[in-house]
Amino acid sequence: MPNKRPLEGVRVCDFSWVGAGPSTTRLLSEYGADVIRLESKSRLDLLRLIGPYKDGIAGIERSGYFSNRNPNKRSIDINMKNPQARDLVVKLIKESDIVINNFTMGVMEKWNLGYEEVNEIKPDIIYVTMPTQGSTGPHKNYMGFGITMNALVGIHYLTGYPDKVPFGMGTNYPDHVPNPVHTAFAIAVALLHRRKTGQGQLIDVSQTEAALAVLPTSVMNYAANGKVLERRGNRDLNVAPHGVYATKGDRRWIAIAVFNQSEWAALLNVMGNSEWSNSEKFSSAASRLENQDELDEMIETWTNQHEAYQLMDRLAQAGVRAGVLQNSKDLLEDPQLNERGFWAYLNHQEMRRHVYNVSPAHLSKTPAQLYSPAPLLGEHTDRVLKEVLGLSEAEIVKLREEKVIG
Amino acid sequence: MQNKTAEGTVFSNMRIVELAGELGAYTGKLFADLGADLIRIEAMEGDPTRLEKPFFNETPGIENSLRYQYLNTNKKGIVLDITSPEGKEVFLKLIKTTDLLIESFPPGHLESLGLGYEVLSAINPKLVHTAITPYGQFGPYKDYPFSDLTCLAMGGMLYLAGTENEKPAQVPDKQSFFQADLYAAYGSMVALINADLTLEGQYIDVSIHESVATAQENAIQTYDLEGRIRRGLGLIEAGNGTYKCQDGYVYIVAAMGSNAHLWYPLVDWMIEEKIPDAEVLRGEEWAISDYRKREESMETFKIIFEKFSAKYTKQDLYQESQKRKVVIYPVNTAKDVLENPQLNYRKYFKERYSESVNGTITYPGCPYELEKIPWELKCGAPAFGQHTAEVLRNLGYSTDDMKSFVKRGISYAK
Repeated sequence: MPNKRPLEGVRVCDFSWVGAGPSTTRLLSEYGADVIRLESKSRLDLLRLIGPYKDGIAGIERSGYFSNRNPNKRSIDINMKNPQARDLVVKLIKESDIVINNFTMGVMEKWNLGYEEVNEIKPDIIYVTMPTQGSTGPHKNYMGFGITMNALVGIHYLTGYPDKVPFGMGTNYPDHVPNPVHTAFAIAVALLHRRKTGQGQLIDVSQTEAALAVLPTSVMNYAANGKVLERRGNRDLNVAPHGVYATKGDRRWIAIAVFNQSEWAALLNVMGNSEWSNSEKFSSAASRLENQDELDEMIETWTNQHEAYQLMDRLAQAGVRAGVLQNSKDLLEDPQLNERGFWAYLNHQEMRRHVYNVSPAHLSKTPAQLYSPAPLLGEHTDRVLKEVLGLSEAEIVKLREEKVIG
Repeated sequence: MQNKTAEGTVFSNMRIVELAGELGAYTGKLFADLGADLIRIEAMEGDPTRLEKPFFNETPGIENSLRYQYLNTNKKGIVLDITSPEGKEVFLKLIKTTDLLIESFPPGHLESLGLGYEVLSAINPKLVHTAITPYGQFGPYKDYPFSDLTCLAMGGMLYLAGTENEKPAQVPDKQSFFQADLYAAYGSMVALINADLTLEGQYIDVSIHESVATAQENAIQTYDLEGRIRRGLGLIEAGNGTYKCQDGYVYIVAAMGSNAHLWYPLVDWMIEEKIPDAEVLRGEEWAISDYRKREESMETFKIIFEKFSAKYTKQDLYQESQKRKVVIYPVNTAKDVLENPQLNYRKYFKERYSESVNGTITYPGCPYELEKIPWELKCGAPAFGQHTAEVLRNLGYSTDDMKSFVKRGISYAK
């Protein structure tokens, strides 16, 4: 029986903004939670101001960076600087199951909406806070971005070539997967706990610490062995060849990884068993690790003569692990992703048809579903105030006149 | 799942079975670290992660891989050949009382053993069966061989880790596996909530390829909306990227698009420090992104900034910059991370004696704090076959049964 929504009836009062927070509540909205974003024209979500924009024309309703993080959600335009706003928020919290923010410490407290206050308003609330470096400690108020977190946790130092300045991953990676998915998991745990016990609770996520949880070996190695691991391009400590090789075409590469002798033999066959490849220098895993510079050069001379996808198919047929370094266009045209329905195109008032990704975890009976595009700023203010908070038309007009809502 | 006992949590009565492999171990760890009873079934040849460097004390050995030790805390480990008739019987007995099964066999493998979801759900309709594979259970690439590197390539993350024509480099620690394992854990929790509501389990098909493709930042939309193929951020405009300092590197974000509020406080700081030519950077043109992206702008900034940064260590620049509302972060090594004052204040890293390596291991700690569900490092990763006897005994097998399993090479007990 598909089309059921396992989080239907769960309402989220969503103060979060920019990256990691909205990516977390997106995961809840995909399974039917009613996520209500508190936005304001006087304090825009930064992602509404960062492109790409529909047709390259800037506009707060045109950003694809914003849209892909916010499908299925509702948006109300509320000015938290107005003293009356808090009363409205209190009403919304009474109708909510989860309150979430990713501000630096102190912002929610300034509005008297810290965990203790909110817990008094709604005793079974699940209250989620995700400051970048945690809610305690000497750096709790430090500002930063996902990309600077890469530097802080050590992932940046390790991503690049040994003879060059570390380049890093080129994105605000912790905002995209490690932080939102860890947090969404913790929220789901708290939801089950509440079903069983009726109790809410505080979930406190330090984004730095969640990012470090998926970067274990370099710190464990330093603690155990006193050695700092260095970046090593695309090489592996255990096996060779293991690299990224240029193929025909502009900015076209293929990744090839050989883990054992039979895979090596299979690669030799695909490469045509030329004389060099059967040399003693490459006959065992140890000798291949030893002679990697030469090995990589020889493999690249070969890959350079071939088209990347054809090569990947041939290598895969032979049992060799290989993958094209796909860019965004390749991903949108990828036959595997398209057959699996990974891309969803939704129609938005201003952006028209544009793309979203769906969940990579496909639940057979209660699949993640995208049913509405990212909201316009304040698109649902009146409806939420009427339907969720039970306000009358006259009350809404008054709140708007007094600039509590937009 | 039973109702919560007075002392317990939602995990006290949760049983999880993990069929051990390179994938799914982190999924299981997230549950085990919160108190779920997790039984990890290894094949006779063992989890390949056991053979991975780096090793504890740099000593190779099947218990010494640090990645293996990290991923398998708080789990029970048994060794069982589930392709043998007796192994199947043991596995099916376990499944009867299991809430969640985590596995990562190639598509169709469990079905070929007669242990597919249909068979398992007939025995236990509430079972959530989570399968993690490189490309998912169906589609033209479903049988393509894979590694972390090829998954990062196909999912688009590698392409972003470089600029212009530069060849990108792999991110450490098999991030593609971690990403899929994380999505698997969240999807499993949603399915467990649903099973609690409806008494019905379900099957979850998790693709690494897709998991990686969710970490594209705005690259997908950049192509969809503007027709441009982007690569990585960093070193594509002045004031954004990695620069040298006295003892290594710093990563700075002094500007983002038309957002220049971080730029001028940095320039003023450099002027205050009497850095030659720093006044040049005060000009209004530096607030414009296109200007900062010019090659000569990038070069000018780099020369001036590195005269400044060469005077200080990365940690000094980091702490002082925060006071001035400037964003300069240290490019930390593993040593720096372990010495980070914030992490130490919060006691993030945990030390624990691990029986299987016979030594004390330092582990990354909890990724989140749940007020009512404690995260705890109760025990280190299981030694090969450590809990075989205990688990089989609890299922009603005798010592003789066990001996016969071991003798016939379908199990191993430590």
